[in-house]
Amino acid sequence: MQYTFQFGQITRYLPDLLAGALISLEIAFVCFWGALLIGLLGAMALHFGGVWTRRVARAYVACFTNTPGLVQIYFIYFALPEFGILFSSLQAVIIGITLNAGGYLTLILKSGFLSVHRNELDAAEVMGMSRLQLVRYIIVPHIARVLFPPISNKFILMVLGTAVAGVFGVEDLMGRTINANAESFRAIELLSVTACLYVAMTILATLVLAAVSLLCFGRRRSSI
Amino acid sequence: MPHLEITNLDAAYKSQPVLSGVSLSVEKGEVVSLIGPSGSGKSTLLRVLVGLLPPRKGTVVLDGTPVDYSDQRSLRALRDRCAIVFQQFNLFRNMDVLRNVTIAPVKIKKRDRREVEAEAEALLAKVGLGDKLRAYPSELSGGQQQRVAIARALALRPEILLLDEVTSALDPELVQEVLDIIRLLVGEGMTMLVVSHEMGFVREVSSRVALMSAGAIVEIGSPAQIFDAPKTERAKDFVAKILRAH
Repeated sequence: MQYTFQFGQITRYLPDLLAGALISLEIAFVCFWGALLIGLLGAMALHFGGVWTRRVARAYVACFTNTPGLVQIYFIYFALPEFGILFSSLQAVIIGITLNAGGYLTLILKSGFLSVHRNELDAAEVMGMSRLQLVRYIIVPHIARVLFPPISNKFILMVLGTAVAGVFGVEDLMGRTINANAESFRAIELLSVTACLYVAMTILATLVLAAVSLLCFGRRRSSI
Repeated sequence: MPHLEITNLDAAYKSQPVLSGVSLSVEKGEVVSLIGPSGSGKSTLLRVLVGLLPPRKGTVVLDGTPVDYSDQRSLRALRDRCAIVFQQFNLFRNMDVLRNVTIAPVKIKKRDRREVEAEAEALLAKVGLGDKLRAYPSELSGGQQQRVAIARALALRPEILLLDEVTSALDPELVQEVLDIIRLLVGEGMTMLVVSHEMGFVREVSSRVALMSAGAIVEIGSPAQIFDAPKTERAKDFVAKILRAH
């Protein structure tokens, strides 16, 4: 290999890449909460819904978990304008990642709904709790605890998954890496730094999630 | 007019009939115990009464008002007046003792939190758990959990208390502490429908005893009548078996 590493040539891009990393985290954060909300609604539809509600929820999950996320964003960005629905690249990426993750989180949260003890649901029902109160006071606190690890993993995967945004010209970490490479042609150095920044982001996310878990459940003595 | 009147009640789990033609009336302040072998429909009758299993046929009338189990408003009105304590306690494990007792009055009945908490503390003190307000269910013994469940039911200020084998899941030494609480409630004149296998206790506290078999009430009468002079062959057979077991 004749390649000579010249990291000095890319140091000027570092502030730009760091700002891109921040955008990547922001995209992941926004998409995560959107997906979590969709997942909760989807799981409620699958668990409590009538025949048609369940069918719609199942169709949504099937569509978004059986096709690549990249194809979904391409569809939103390039196909929807044909129907008069126009999104900016950032909007298309956020919608695409959110809908994709929402499909997976629907399945994850549905398993959480199923893991709530029948006894507790019976008790809540005879006390007169409505469906929404059941979800809010019994199911969500239960699944927040038992599903914290898989949901955390999903968030970390989403942080890494934001890299697709670069393909659509979004100025996230990957987008800025592509731009910097177009200027400097130092692909190996840039991608190495970018990879390290993604590792740093996942470590940061893991530490924050661990702190949240400790804060919320660390002192909780109930066994679920 | 009876406080609670059940007439010709049928219920089924899918295609399996579990109650057939059950009729029973309960007067205010009465303690009616349901006894019978496992699978005879005792617990199912209580589940049907609180709307956890819809009846297929028959009527339930509470103070002259028929309950429509397909109507949420009617069901809510029923659940406002009837509370049930389950065999497995059914406490909310993500909540401490105080919250288990207060959540329904505060969140469902929309009563003032401070007033409900003061009442809950008094109820928990009454069942001997005044020092366990902040404990989680997993930190309590079975007997303590069942006492919390009783306090939780009482916090709803029910007119009728349904007790579904509340001592069956407890170690023998914990049974008495729960029975003592129920004796206290009987003394206060609470109307109760009790499913129990504690025959000595049933005999002691019941106004009337109903023997169930194969989803139907086969004999009903005073405790003395059922235990000492049963009329039907099924009741004679059941009592003979109980006496042999004791």
